[in-house]
Amino acid sequence: MKGLITKDFINISKSFWVIGVLVIFYGAISFVSDSPSSFSGLFTLIIAMYMLSTYSLDEMAKWDIYALTMPLTRDKLVQGKYLMMLILSFMGFLLNMVVLLTLNILTKSESLFDGIEIAVVGAVLVIVFYSIVIPFITNLGIVKARLYFIIIYMVPFMAGSFISKRIKASNTNPPDGLITFIEVVIKNAYIIVPLIMIAALGISYFISIRIYRKKEF
Amino acid sequence: MNSTLYMNQDTGVQQKDAIVIENMSKRFDRFLLDKISFRVPSGSIMGFVGENGAGKTTTIKAILNLLYPDEGSIRIWGHPSDSLSKDLRAQIGVVFEGSNLHDNLTTDNINKIMGNIYPNWDQNEFYNYLNRFKLPKKKKIKDFSRGMKMKLSISIALSHAAKLLVLDEATSGLDPMVREEILDIFMDFIQDEGHTILFSTHIISDIEKIADYVTFIHEGKIVFCENKDELIYRHGIIRCRRDDIAKIDKSFIIGIRENSFGTELMIKDVDAFKRRYKEFVPERATIEEIMLFISRGRKD
Repeated sequence: MKGLITKDFINISKSFWVIGVLVIFYGAISFVSDSPSSFSGLFTLIIAMYMLSTYSLDEMAKWDIYALTMPLTRDKLVQGKYLMMLILSFMGFLLNMVVLLTLNILTKSESLFDGIEIAVVGAVLVIVFYSIVIPFITNLGIVKARLYFIIIYMVPFMAGSFISKRIKASNTNPPDGLITFIEVVIKNAYIIVPLIMIAALGISYFISIRIYRKKEF
Repeated sequence: MNSTLYMNQDTGVQQKDAIVIENMSKRFDRFLLDKISFRVPSGSIMGFVGENGAGKTTTIKAILNLLYPDEGSIRIWGHPSDSLSKDLRAQIGVVFEGSNLHDNLTTDNINKIMGNIYPNWDQNEFYNYLNRFKLPKKKKIKDFSRGMKMKLSISIALSHAAKLLVLDEATSGLDPMVREEILDIFMDFIQDEGHTILFSTHIISDIEKIADYVTFIHEGKIVFCENKDELIYRHGIIRCRRDDIAKIDKSFIIGIRENSFGTELMIKDVDAFKRRYKEFVPERATIEEIMLFISRGRKD
């Protein structure tokens, strides 16, 4: 497992300089605009995108077929990817915090809590995103799975947009029950959101393990 | 095929073969690996030969548990190949035709990665091989030639105290000088009696140079699995006129080839043949000729 994480880190570290450039760029914008929380969550997303790179690089090298001849089980290969994803999400969150704190001190702003909230939401979104896409990547490979990502994320977006337009056009108010439900969810978001994230992660891991155990190379 | 005994480390029981495949089948849409059986004796080099698409890589993938056979069994050192312990897996070195390593890595990076994967990784051994092969430490793999990539894969395979090397087309596409260098390494490796090599290739000259046994796969079926010297000794070619074919017992004939210069027959059981037919003088056959007669020659 340690070897797999080392391999992923060495591979993506070759392009870590991009993050440095982005930190300086967005940091400067935030500093000039006097708004430290503007880009909270951004670095979580950027670092998390490296996860897709690890899959691409493995696929280009045909790494899995080689790795499975080593003293590594199929489960370990899947576990390695989930662990890497969580490490990257956490790293992104930490980087956000460092940038946020630095900018807050420099600009003497008091928006630290807002920034932390956005950064946490960013990390949760990243974990849920990967919980959905990793089983697809495990099954289809990164190249084919990319097509599905578009469908997975475009269809709900288009459907939501369509329904929203229809509701607005019909000029009707949402049912009271729905409004109450949403209010309860928002009120208990600190419990519900982590629970959803953990459930998504668990189900995703279970599915990926099942897929990978059956996979032939 | 005669095999020698070896001690199974886990059970303490003496075993004779490093790999045993029995009646293994795997069906694909357009290809069938059909109940193949063969053994790789411990302490030997087994040349696994056959034309492209004959089923060599599929067989090797099944041995390495990269695909699942529909039926049959595969045992490595007496253990089912799909449930080898981590320690036993660490004793298998594998070299594929491609390097299967990320282009942007350096050999130093690989040392770090493999050191965290193989419990028995020997860093000194790895760097010794890099020096022997004159492979640079700081250069990225993408800048390596094909021969250098293959040498790197072999260096990895030999740097974790492997006892079994599984090589799938490891010398294909390499120039003769590099191939010779790699074959020398394999010969060094096999000097230890506990070491075994399964070497798949379609370059028959490599097999003739280093193999102790030869397994020939053709259209998904094992045609023969024999000691190389016995195989060459038992077969012979006779050149004759077309009319002479009728004089020869068909049970001796493996294949017939005809060209503008006459007829060639591949004969098996050369000693018995010589005793029976004094008028024909069989010439020594190469493995390549035996394979070609079997796969492309007609029977009558």
